[in-house]
Parts: sequence; C-alpha cells; structure tokens
Amino acid sequence: MSGRVIVVTSGKGGVGKTTASANIGVALASTGASVALVDMDIGLRNLDILMGLENRVVYNLVDVVEERCKLRQALVKDKKLGNLSLLPAAQTRDKSAVTAEQMKKLCDELKAMYDFVLVDSPAGIEQGFQNACAGAEEAIVITTPEMSAVRDADRIIGLLEARKDEIKEYRLVLNRYRPNMVANNDMMSVDDVLEILSVKLLGVVPEDEEIIISTNKGEPIAGTENVRAGLAYRNIARRIRGEDVAIMDLTPQSQTWLNKIVSFFSPPVRV
Amino acid sequence: MQMQILDWIFRPNLKTDDARVTARDRMKSMLTHDRLELPAGRLESLEEELTAVVSRYFDLDKDTTHFDLQQYERRASLIANFRLIRSKC
Ligand SMILES: Nc1ncnc2c1ncn2[C@@H]1O[C@H](COP(=O)(O)OP(=O)(O)OP(=O)(O)O)[C@@H](O)[C@H]1O
Ligand SMILES: [Mg+2]
Repeated sequence: MSGRVIVVTSGKGGVGKTTASANIGVALASTGASVALVDMDIGLRNLDILMGLENRVVYNLVDVVEERCKLRQALVKDKKLGNLSLLPAAQTRDKSAVTAEQMKKLCDELKAMYDFVLVDSPAGIEQGFQNACAGAEEAIVITTPEMSAVRDADRIIGLLEARKDEIKEYRLVLNRYRPNMVANNDMMSVDDVLEILSVKLLGVVPEDEEIIISTNKGEPIAGTENVRAGLAYRNIARRIRGEDVAIMDLTPQSQTWLNKIVSFFSPPVRV
Repeated sequence: MQMQILDWIFRPNLKTDDARVTARDRMKSMLTHDRLELPAGRLESLEEELTAVVSRYFDLDKDTTHFDLQQYERRASLIANFRLIRSKC
C-alpha cells in the first residue's frame, strides 16, 4: 500500500491547524480509511489533547527517530476508531530534534501502513515548517479571513510553490468563517480570499463554539452529527477522498421579515 | 441605478467604504508587493523614469497616464498606459 501524506500548515499561529488535523483525521477514518496523525509541533505537543489521548502517550516521534522504540510502539490508537492512530510529538525537545531526511523516512514507513498520513505542522515558515513538509506530497493551507493570516498563508503558498517537485497539490481551508459579518460587509468573503490568494478551495469551517467544547472533551467535533463545524470537516474529508461535495450554504438565518427581504437580495454565502 | 435603490432600501449597512472592500483592496496591493519583494516607492520611481523616457518621444496627456500592477494567478503584470498627443519630431 502507498498512502497519501498530507501536511496541514498555515504560516500564522493559532488559526486552527491542530484542530483541523484532528477533525480531518477523525472524518477520514470515519469513511473507513486508515489514518495516521503525526504531530510535528515538537516542543508544543497539542494533538494528543485534542484527540483526548494525552494519558496514553508513552513514546513519541523523537523516540522513534532516535531508535529508542519501534514505530508501532509509539503509535497511540484512537479511543473510538480502530483505524486511526496518533504519533505524538515530544514535549521536552525542540524543532531541531528531527531532520528533514529523518522525517521523510518516517513518512515513507507510515504511508506503507496507512491510507492517509496527516502531518500537523508548527506555526512559522522556518525549519519546523520545512521539516513537517519533508515527506508530504500534498498540503492543506489553513487561514482565517483576517488580513494578517491571509498574508502569512500567501507566504506559505509561495514556499509550497517553490517545492513543486515534492508538493503536487495544495488546497485552502478557510477557518473561523463568520457569515453574519460577511453579510454585513465587515469581513472578507470566501470569494475575496480565494481571489486574493488564487488558490483552490478545500472547504470552509464556520466559527463555532462547539469546537471549543469538543476540544475540552477530547472528542473532535467531526465525530458529532448535526453540528455545522463537524459537517464542514466531514465534507472536507470527502473532498480529499475525491468526492464532489458541494460547498454548504452558510447564509445567516433570517429572523425578521426585513432580514428575509435583505437575504433575498444578497448573494448566498457558501461553506 | 435600480440596484442602488434596492441596496439603499434593503441593505442600509452596505457602504462602498466598508471594512470588507477596504481589507480586500489593501490585501491585493500588499500581496503584490510581498510577492515581488517590492519596496514602497519603487513603483513610483519607475513611473517617473518611464514617463520621462516616453516624454522625449511624445507629447503626453499626463492626466490620463495610467500605471498599475495587476495580478493574474499569483503573477504580477505591469500595466502602463500613456495617452499620446503627438510625436516630438
Ligand atoms: N472554527 C473554529 N471555531 C471556533 N474556535 C476555533 C475554530 N478553529 C479553531 N478554534 C480555536 O482556535 C484556537 C487555536 O486552534 P489550534 O490550536 O487548532 O490552532 P493552531 O493553528 O494549531 O495553533 P498553533 O499555531 O499554536 O499550533 C483553539 O482554541 C481552537 O479551539
Ligand atoms: Mg497547533
């Protein structure tokens, strides 16, 4: 088997890479594919918390690279999905603990075992980002519709373009989207951001308090039905698998008759 | 015109100087400069020099000279439009 290695990256910190990695991992595994989640944010381990697996971490990625354990020993199985595993980052080391060559070798091993290898990368455009990309053939660029995040996403896209030989495809996820603000022309729309970055869209995830709640519970929202953010991540997973899934309608709900008339005249917002 | 009236009636929040349009326009110009690693003021000095060169050959209508960077698929094009009046020799 040869799986797909996809790096999740952003440039700017705190825009939702780890949340997206966890949720896309859960959503892909729910479709039946086998998935390995790799936490490459060495020194700032987070992915285990979002997955609710922090108490099961014994070994980590650096232990594997430095041959203190076998790869299989370091992989932590998800609580619910048997076909989903996490390779945790080391918490007490730094980004220099793993080289690009070591990362590439690790990804080669993992893609022989799994359909999908999702790599959560650290913020920034330095070595940590370069190492996280080392074994990947595809990338997901995460941004919010804010100017500073979009600017940093553009830097990342430039760097991905420069690695064209390795990274065959990259697509954008627009996170923390606020349809109400867009409808009021207070914020850039999906189309604005796509036009500015000239990039392909993988999906839009609305701003949703449920994400914070699910993070606290250690159960990614993609596993929950009837939540818009969860559906957004499940749609993203289906698009990654090659399905043609329409972008969901995110038009704000109309309350008053005036709002109804207003929304009749304003263009629909898509997810 | 009709749309403007409808906008005025139904979308009182719609302003042309709204935050969304401002952000979009600022982003476009910012990323054009970022991608080219173009320092502020550099384009203006190119415009000055080019105008001087063309002026040696033609009388120009300086008010309608148009000088701009446009993006197409992450690549910038330099658009220079000189309105010519007559040749100088
Ligand atoms: N769609 C969303 N709606 C609401 N909150 C969100 C959403 N996406 C992410 N968040 C919140 O934003 C914060 C940052 O998310 P996350 O840790 O995934 O970002 P990151 O890009 O991995 O950060 P870092 O660069 O530090 O690794 C978290 O508190 C998370 O719960
Ligand atoms: Mg993170």
